Amino acid sequence: RSVMAACAKGLDRCILSLRLLRNVKLQHERFLSTSLCHLAAGNSSQQPPKFIPPSKPVIVDKTQKVASLRKFLSPEFIPPRQRTDPVKFSMERKDMVRRRKVLNIPEFYAGSILAVTMADPCASGKTNRFVGICIQRGGKGLGATFILRNIIDGQGIEICYDLYSPRIQTIEVLKLEKRLDDNLMYLRDALPEYSTVDLGMKPVPFSPTGEVPVNKLKVKMRPKPWSKRWERPKFNIQGIRFDLSLTPEKMEHAQKWAQPWQEYDMLKEYDTSTLEEQILSEVQREMSK
Amino acid sequence: MRLTLQALISHGRVARKMGLGPESRINMLRNILTGLVRHERIETTQARADEVRFYAEKLVDYAKKGDTDEKAMKMANFWLTEKDLIPKLFKVLAPRFENQSNGYTRMARLPNRQNLDRAKMAVLEYKGNPFPPLYPVKKENELSLINQLLKGYREERAQQLADKA
Repeated sequence: RSVMAACAKGLDRCILSLRLLRNVKLQHERFLSTSLCHLAAGNSSQQPPKFIPPSKPVIVDKTQKVASLRKFLSPEFIPPRQRTDPVKFSMERKDMVRRRKVLNIPEFYAGSILAVTMADPCASGKTNRFVGICIQRGGKGLGATFILRNIIDGQGIEICYDLYSPRIQTIEVLKLEKRLDDNLMYLRDALPEYSTVDLGMKPVPFSPTGEVPVNKLKVKMRPKPWSKRWERPKFNIQGIRFDLSLTPEKMEHAQKWAQPWQEYDMLKEYDTSTLEEQILSEVQREMSK
Repeated sequence: MRLTLQALISHGRVARKMGLGPESRINMLRNILTGLVRHERIETTQARADEVRFYAEKLVDYAKKGDTDEKAMKMANFWLTEKDLIPKLFKVLAPRFENQSNGYTRMARLPNRQNLDRAKMAVLEYKGNPFPPLYPVKKENELSLINQLLKGYREERAQQLADKA
């Protein structure tokens, strides 16, 4: 319509505008080119100009094709410090590897954005898809869970998925990143912009080698009261902007609950380095079989 | 309505309750550990000795990492309230237990305290200390009649065997 209006004014202006419009990416390109040819042929007395097809769009496949080459052991493989028989943990690990051979569970951390499709008998198409930020990874062994948080239509929604549940069909990592803490439960008391994730978000490409990017974002909170007193040292949260919501006196008052002897208490230490290496080599061996 | 029995059930709790609270417990253990490092053999109540035993062995494990290790120095600085014992820990105790991997301490029971409380007492020591042993080895008297007769019998047997061969 704009082309017709431009042509009605003058011939050269019409050709100029046609050239400009040809450079601009428009939706109905085919419609435009035929109309251009028509108008050009109709108005000019010269030969009709050679048909120049529009440039083809370059499709860049940003989906993660190659598996991660980082040495990563999922935290649910590491057994907790208990008095149970290690046979129980080795049997559980066998079952976990069996499930992983069927469903690809990618590497992700608290703070990464995931999309999960789950089988649902009540939904149309029998599946439902949910996209959100992973705020917590809990549980050990087959009962390992992760919680995805998103805000849809102004309502905050958190769904806790079992990693090894047979209902889960795909887990995609849309954005792989770490945050300053392992547990992002404080997002419930933060401003909603920090928990909203676009449902139709495209996967952000990330390299399979190299360090996982750490997002040093400090989140702004809603006014107090919060669901938990996040300023207390027992939570040890690095990712909140306390200076915007708390006075320095309140921060000092919160330090009264600090337990400085806990970092020196050798009873609470659980050294998992040798255990991790063992389990990682075992799992990699089983997965490659 | 009490929904949690956390205060009553102690499944998997390894640390005993001592003193006025967790901070008091750690301070008490710190004092006992400092005394143990200074004197290498101390007597306390059985419960305290049992708690300190774990921390004493872990402290030696940290000392084995060396003087230059930051974490080891921080731990030693925290646990030893008398700072002249820090070099003793790194230069005397760590080399002493170089070849062992665990079991640096020994605990033995003592008769109950003579006070009104009659508390169970125990002795806790680092192995390789300069004092006489806790369980003294009884040496048999060579000059008693039976030992002399046995000695003569053994010599005669040895002589007979040597003559036959």
